Amino acid sequence: MTEPLKPVYLEDKLNEVRGDGHLRYRSSSLPTWCPGCGYFSVAEGVATALNRLKVPLKDAVIVSGIGCASRFPFFMETYGFHTLHGRTLPVATGVKVANDALTVLAVGGDGDAFAIGGGHIPHAARRNADITYMVFDNGIYGLTKGQTSPTSVEGFVTPSTPYESHDRPLNPLMMLLSYGASWVGQAYAGRPHHLTDMIAEAVAHRGFSYLHILSPCVTFDKTEMTYANLDVRVRDLPADHDPSDRLVAMEQATRAEAPALGLFYREERPTLIDGMNDIAARATGKASGKGKKNKK
Amino acid sequence: MNKNGTDIQFAVIGSAGDGTIAAGDILKRAMAGLGYKVIAFDIYPAEIRGFGKCISRVRITTEQAYSLKRHSDVLISLDDSYAIPHVGEVRDYGAVIYESSPIARLPEGGHMTAHVKPSQLPYGMQVRSISERVTASARSRNIVVLGYLAGLYGIDPQAFREIIADKFRTKAQAVTVQNTAAFDAGYEVGQSVFKLDDVQLGPPVRKGDSGKVTMMTGNGAVVRGCIDAGLDTFFGYPITPATTILERLAAELPKHGGRVLQTEDEISAIAATIGAGYTGARAATATSGPGLALMTEMLGLGVMGEVPSVVFVSQRGGPSTGMPTKTEQSDLNLAVFGGAGDAQRIVLAPTNVEGCYRTAGKAFEMAEKYQTPVVVLLDLYLSNRYETVIPPDANPFAPNLNKGLDAWRGDGEYPRFADTDDHISPRALPGEEGGMHTVTGLEHNQLGKPSDAPENHLAMNAKRHRKLDGALSHPDFTICKRFGDEGPVDVGILGWGSTFGEILEAMFAAQDEGIRCSAMKVVMLSPLPKERIVAFMDDCGTVLVPELNYEGQFANLISGALGRPVTKLTRSTGAPMQVEEILAEIRRLAQAKAA
Amino acid sequence: MGEAIHNVIIGNGSAGNGAAITLRERDPDCRITIITMGSLPFYNRYDLPRVFRGCYDWREILVHPLSYYDDHSITLRRNSRVTDVDARSRTITFAHNEVMHYDRLLVCAGGQGYLPEELSDYRGLMSGFGSFEAAMTTYKALPAGGTLVMLGGDMIGLDLARTLIDTGYRVVLLTNEYTFWPHRIAEDERDGFIQALGHMGIEVVDGVHPVAVEEGEAGKPARRVIFDDGGDVQGDVVMPSYGLVPTAEFMLGSGVDIERGLLVDPMLHTTDKNIWAAGDVCQIWSAEDNAYRFYYGWNNVRLMGEMAARNVTGANEAFEGLEDERLRIDKKGHIASPFWEH
Repeated sequence: MTEPLKPVYLEDKLNEVRGDGHLRYRSSSLPTWCPGCGYFSVAEGVATALNRLKVPLKDAVIVSGIGCASRFPFFMETYGFHTLHGRTLPVATGVKVANDALTVLAVGGDGDAFAIGGGHIPHAARRNADITYMVFDNGIYGLTKGQTSPTSVEGFVTPSTPYESHDRPLNPLMMLLSYGASWVGQAYAGRPHHLTDMIAEAVAHRGFSYLHILSPCVTFDKTEMTYANLDVRVRDLPADHDPSDRLVAMEQATRAEAPALGLFYREERPTLIDGMNDIAARATGKASGKGKKNKK
Repeated sequence: MNKNGTDIQFAVIGSAGDGTIAAGDILKRAMAGLGYKVIAFDIYPAEIRGFGKCISRVRITTEQAYSLKRHSDVLISLDDSYAIPHVGEVRDYGAVIYESSPIARLPEGGHMTAHVKPSQLPYGMQVRSISERVTASARSRNIVVLGYLAGLYGIDPQAFREIIADKFRTKAQAVTVQNTAAFDAGYEVGQSVFKLDDVQLGPPVRKGDSGKVTMMTGNGAVVRGCIDAGLDTFFGYPITPATTILERLAAELPKHGGRVLQTEDEISAIAATIGAGYTGARAATATSGPGLALMTEMLGLGVMGEVPSVVFVSQRGGPSTGMPTKTEQSDLNLAVFGGAGDAQRIVLAPTNVEGCYRTAGKAFEMAEKYQTPVVVLLDLYLSNRYETVIPPDANPFAPNLNKGLDAWRGDGEYPRFADTDDHISPRALPGEEGGMHTVTGLEHNQLGKPSDAPENHLAMNAKRHRKLDGALSHPDFTICKRFGDEGPVDVGILGWGSTFGEILEAMFAAQDEGIRCSAMKVVMLSPLPKERIVAFMDDCGTVLVPELNYEGQFANLISGALGRPVTKLTRSTGAPMQVEEILAEIRRLAQAKAA
Repeated sequence: MGEAIHNVIIGNGSAGNGAAITLRERDPDCRITIITMGSLPFYNRYDLPRVFRGCYDWREILVHPLSYYDDHSITLRRNSRVTDVDARSRTITFAHNEVMHYDRLLVCAGGQGYLPEELSDYRGLMSGFGSFEAAMTTYKALPAGGTLVMLGGDMIGLDLARTLIDTGYRVVLLTNEYTFWPHRIAEDERDGFIQALGHMGIEVVDGVHPVAVEEGEAGKPARRVIFDDGGDVQGDVVMPSYGLVPTAEFMLGSGVDIERGLLVDPMLHTTDKNIWAAGDVCQIWSAEDNAYRFYYGWNNVRLMGEMAARNVTGANEAFEGLEDERLRIDKKGHIASPFWEH
């Protein structure tokens, strides 16, 4: 825990990155996020990671839904698609299926992902669509000014839950691990260097990668997912954590009161596009014969 | 029509387990192979396979026909309990063929002989015992009865044998041999029967193109149109009656370099379609009314983001889950108006199977050229019915009509949504250098940046609507067409979709009765070809709008858009409209006009 | 009583149809079902020779318009062969395995063409005339000016024969004891009638005994009838014409008394209280003859049907056969029969 605890401002980083190629990933639009928002870290991380991986600007597509997090594409100098609330992954899947040469990133907030968009996640995961899905979890609906979200703590008081929320928060990492995501990791906006490394690793992964990013809403949440609280609660995954062991990963994920940072799980398996190429080979009679036959 | 030529409608009725649909399939393919024109429509039970009533109606003609007939000429019962309620559809002096030795003891009235009317001709046949004698199984009863039919009406048996061989080609050779033997046994019996009905099969009219004639369903034609138009990706979710589009494309599209994905729901299907369209791919999905209802928000994104996509919608009975296996034309409002805001899109409705092919292919051209969602409205009756069609000699669809980044000659930041002379903006595609932009469902300026400035919203709304006017003169596409008498007429009929077949038949019949009338089919429902429709209505003493829904959605669209009265003829029983109903209304209007 | 009385008539000939309309007139509310093995509504079998005069459409020989059945609420069951009647349970079983209940049953099943045992193997090589379909098939098998060889020559056959002669065909008649059936011909009259047949243009071969029918040799007429003495006669079509036998097999085991036909009293009542019979299927007790006897001819048959129906509906009338059953020779020297007058 050696990284600074203070938020990262775009201006603070400007000089640091000037002359380094990754600045050009940032569009001329100034982000609409509140000062101190964790999302600045993510924007910074994505730009750095893409630069590190030498992804050409023109070949990157960032797809988002609706919410504070989903404003993301406007602030990046790549192709972007700001879609509908909850529909990030289906649109991203369409992009990838139509042009698998593109590097497809999907971003959204916790409401976009796990409330309205929750039905799409398992399917993107089980298909192993080669998409990097980053959910910026601030445990609140920021854009509509602070209502409870699927990851909000029990007992959360918000304008839509004035007598406290009685709903239990979801555990996104457990969900993604059970959905069959082939890469599952967690990062924290308060640890920008680690976050950048995780983004780079997630983008490099061949298959569906899910990066859960804990990112405080400095405007509407003064009590729960704050930098102060998270700085104390987060921990690193154990040094001997085996990311090929899904059950161990799940065990770590159950400890939601002390979120672990790092790579929970990773497996290599054929992607959605691999499967489609196999179908094309079979349909045209050029199948290698390696594919699985249907069980009868 | 068909006063001298052949015009016979067969109805095969039985349970799903009787091979009813298979029998109808062999029959129509054999007749098409012989050179007759065929229109056929199958009705399946809503229940799972093995139970419930199936009807396969096959109309064969030498002159072009446009719909099924109300009355069948020949009914073939594979199960009396299902066929008996339909015996009334057989015309006078038509034939009813049934099992003469049912295996089960029947209560009084349980056999077809109790119901055949004196004006109809009963033909009993020992279908089961022949099947069991020839194939050691009762399963070939449907084939035996086809043989009987061919023998009775003097149809070339070889045409059937070829189709039977083709139908069972994936099975063991013995299956073809047995079924051919079953057919031949039935044929021998049929030949020996003294024919008492007056159903006459004349020779087919062979034209130079008859060798190319093929038979397909509306959905099959959509699939062919998609492939010929170079469909790249298809995303679908199973829903009756659109499922066969997904299934056929899943089998065929990968052979042509395309990709198909069954998504987790209709929202995902249209979202992925729009995602694919965003990359420049030709992308489509197919659904029915309930799916379209789920898709409307995404259609709005497609309109706002100016992203091409094609949505095939095969309508069924509604509202809600409604009647999944019944036909209806009640999703017009949803297709034309569904969604938030002023979200005009192109809506096309073919009227026959050949039209399904052309419209499907042209939908991709239009989606791409006008950067918009295109909804193609079919219905169950059109999706599932078979017609003989003549495939075009050359692929009639243009491969790429995207106004690309090259069309932008400006400096500075790339204006993805720049207004132009034809209001269509140069569209850069992901992967292209120098065209980076973000597409959004937020109102945006010409650069694609969110903007809710009043003058901007006004200008962008205008741009999005006015660019679609180009579709009204889209090359090589019939947006509407007039049939029948030229000049002033007493009765004009405006029609859309599958019902137009019945409309044409009714109009021809009315002309035969001396009524001056003409009919206009409207294929492009949005944007509406107002000038052409107004010109037609100016010629008509009175305008009738027959359609298969309760409210009269097309009539409302016309009278709302044009401010002119029309006479509605609506019907929402789940069945296609009858020619006689339309004809009766034409007569009534003509008489009222005369009086 | 919730349900209307169900009167079932087996047979769609003159007797059955006479019975049906009489029942309807006397009881507007009862159910009436006519059952027939045939495929067509009621037509007059005596009209069948018209087939050879250009009447190829069955609709032209129908007795009633097709709306008749609906108009009179009469259900017509065609292609329906009765295999069993159970008088105790008052049920009928069809060959197609359907079971029907009746309250009153009128058996008007008529008769079928008789074929002597020794010729039964050759049935497939002979033509019939018992139905419209059979008549049309025979017509189609006869080339213009062709030859029909008639065996026996009952009055139905002779009616056809005179039509054939009239329309340019040849008829070769092999006479025997069935010639002129059902007329009972006195021995001394027979030669005169046979001569009259010749006078009518029929080529009579008397005194031969056919034992086989074969297909003709190539280039010869299609059929050859062989006699027991080795002789033969050739023709395009061979038609047996040996009179009718009652169609009554299905009543065996019903509980009703049967000899050759159903035995009925003069009121046409069988030995079962719910079953009556009329027409060629029944033998009526004649006190005069002290025996059961048949009554033939359209007029008798029609009369029987109507009377049976009246008796079913409460009347108690006794049948008296029409007297004029004599075969005659008319002014032209042709035979004439009351059976031909309809």
